[in-house]
Amino acid sequence: RGEADRSRTTAKDRVQRIDPYGFERSEDFDYDSYEEFMSTYLQILTRRSIKWSKLLQGKSNVERNLKVKRYVRKGIPNEHRSLIWMTASGAQEQMEKNPGYYRKLLEAEHDAKLVDTIKTDLNRTFPDNIQFRKTAEPCLQHALFNVLVAYGHHNKNVGYCQGMNFITGYLIIVTKDEEKSFWLLEALLGRILPDYYTPAMLGLKTDQEVLGELVRLKVPAVSQIMVQHNVMWTLVVSRWFICLFIDILPVETVLRIWDCMFYEGSKIIFRVALTLIKHNQALILQGKNFPDICDKFKEIIHGAFVEDCHAFMQKIFTEPGSLSMTTVNKLREMCRARILSQEQ
Amino acid sequence: MSETYDFLFKFLVIGSAGTGKSCLLHQFIENKFKQDSNHTIGVEFGSRVVNVGGKTVKLQIWDTAGQERFRSVTRSYYRGAAGALLVYDITSRETYNALTNWLTDARTLASPNIVIILCGNKKDLDADREVTFLEASRFAQENELMFLETSALTGENVEEAFLKCARTILNKIESGELDPERMGSGIQYGDASLRQLRQPRSTTAQSKQQCSC
Repeated sequence: RGEADRSRTTAKDRVQRIDPYGFERSEDFDYDSYEEFMSTYLQILTRRSIKWSKLLQGKSNVERNLKVKRYVRKGIPNEHRSLIWMTASGAQEQMEKNPGYYRKLLEAEHDAKLVDTIKTDLNRTFPDNIQFRKTAEPCLQHALFNVLVAYGHHNKNVGYCQGMNFITGYLIIVTKDEEKSFWLLEALLGRILPDYYTPAMLGLKTDQEVLGELVRLKVPAVSQIMVQHNVMWTLVVSRWFICLFIDILPVETVLRIWDCMFYEGSKIIFRVALTLIKHNQALILQGKNFPDICDKFKEIIHGAFVEDCHAFMQKIFTEPGSLSMTTVNKLREMCRARILSQEQ
Repeated sequence: MSETYDFLFKFLVIGSAGTGKSCLLHQFIENKFKQDSNHTIGVEFGSRVVNVGGKTVKLQIWDTAGQERFRSVTRSYYRGAAGALLVYDITSRETYNALTNWLTDARTLASPNIVIILCGNKKDLDADREVTFLEASRFAQENELMFLETSALTGENVEEAFLKCARTILNKIESGELDPERMGSGIQYGDASLRQLRQPRSTTAQSKQQCSC
């Protein structure tokens, strides 16, 4: 009987229930299409890994040039991810300039309210990841707590904002190092992203509007249906920005997006968002009413299109068409002014 | 998708972070306690059709993020809500102290007529209680709120909270105190009510539309 069973094993029997980052696969995980995708993606990963090793040749830094940019867009192998994120974002430089700074933040007296707020979210950050369980050894909740508390004291203007916990969680999973995670978070919040997480969340509100403007230019039919049914962009995309696609898109896809974000900056977020919307235009336009349209936006973040991270990452540079930082900055300026005038 | 209902009510679930808003919603919709999940960012939707006083009502429930700073973002969802569950955690005085702010937001941004039920959640953690029933009950009275202590864990009073809120709205519609046709009332007629309720009122445009098809 055993023999017969083995020859009839399914993808679900062969694929591990926990992904390489510690996340349990969801109940509706499509094992068959995942196995099919991985059979080709593993070859790509191997090829990229060899290329990267040649490029780096044991170096601990990487230059900024077209070749590296191309390499980053094709994906950073997980073994080099931490290093490339650190150097590309300037986090490495900051860490070296400020030796002992992170420790000092941890040892200093802590704001009780900040600590409380962070503690409220510890158990609610990746309970589906075995590394974050209280029973895990080491339990990454401790590292998460430390990095968030340190950051909250480092940047008192931001303190702690929900969403930072998920981002920090990913940084810890990738770097396996508290201090590096701290400096990467600092690079993201301090330099790469606009002010998404400050109490007024003006940067978030602005970028949601900017996306709305970009959709109006590039996918006008979707823009129309949103206006027609009074669906505010914030309703369907605020999580995309706040969590940088964590818990929205598949883990591997998120990491590939972050590869580019650390190297090229925040406009990558718009590329991803526009690709999701433009590619699924027909589906979104089927939405008949307000909740229906909201459901469509939940649908477009699942399925083969986003699971195949490699093809998806090629798409984000073609599907939305050209998108210069000048355009993004102009729109940001315009939307920010509009929001400020409305709020007054 | 051929569900018929007499009315559709837009509901909000609001209150500070970690009070169990999403768990209340989950318990109401799925009839079980939601364990191990990420906290809410932005807003989530849920809906369920319930039977109240002989009418079928579809509740469209908006579950919001609780952290203070998200209020500036989530406030835009409040408009046109007919009812709200205002949630605090009976084991956290801080979440109770924040109620006044949430209340002001709901009444100014949703509608002054919004029907609100105050829910003291985590009733099952009585040993860690920081807010007494009496105290919260007084607050509810002073602010014209209904009040229940709930447990999203055991399910106690969860269904009751949503139904009580829906029933009150329905009563107000029947007494004429609430006009579903007023813009931003958070109430819409469903297909069933268009047939049963509105048919006799032959003057309205919509019932004419109904007749012609």
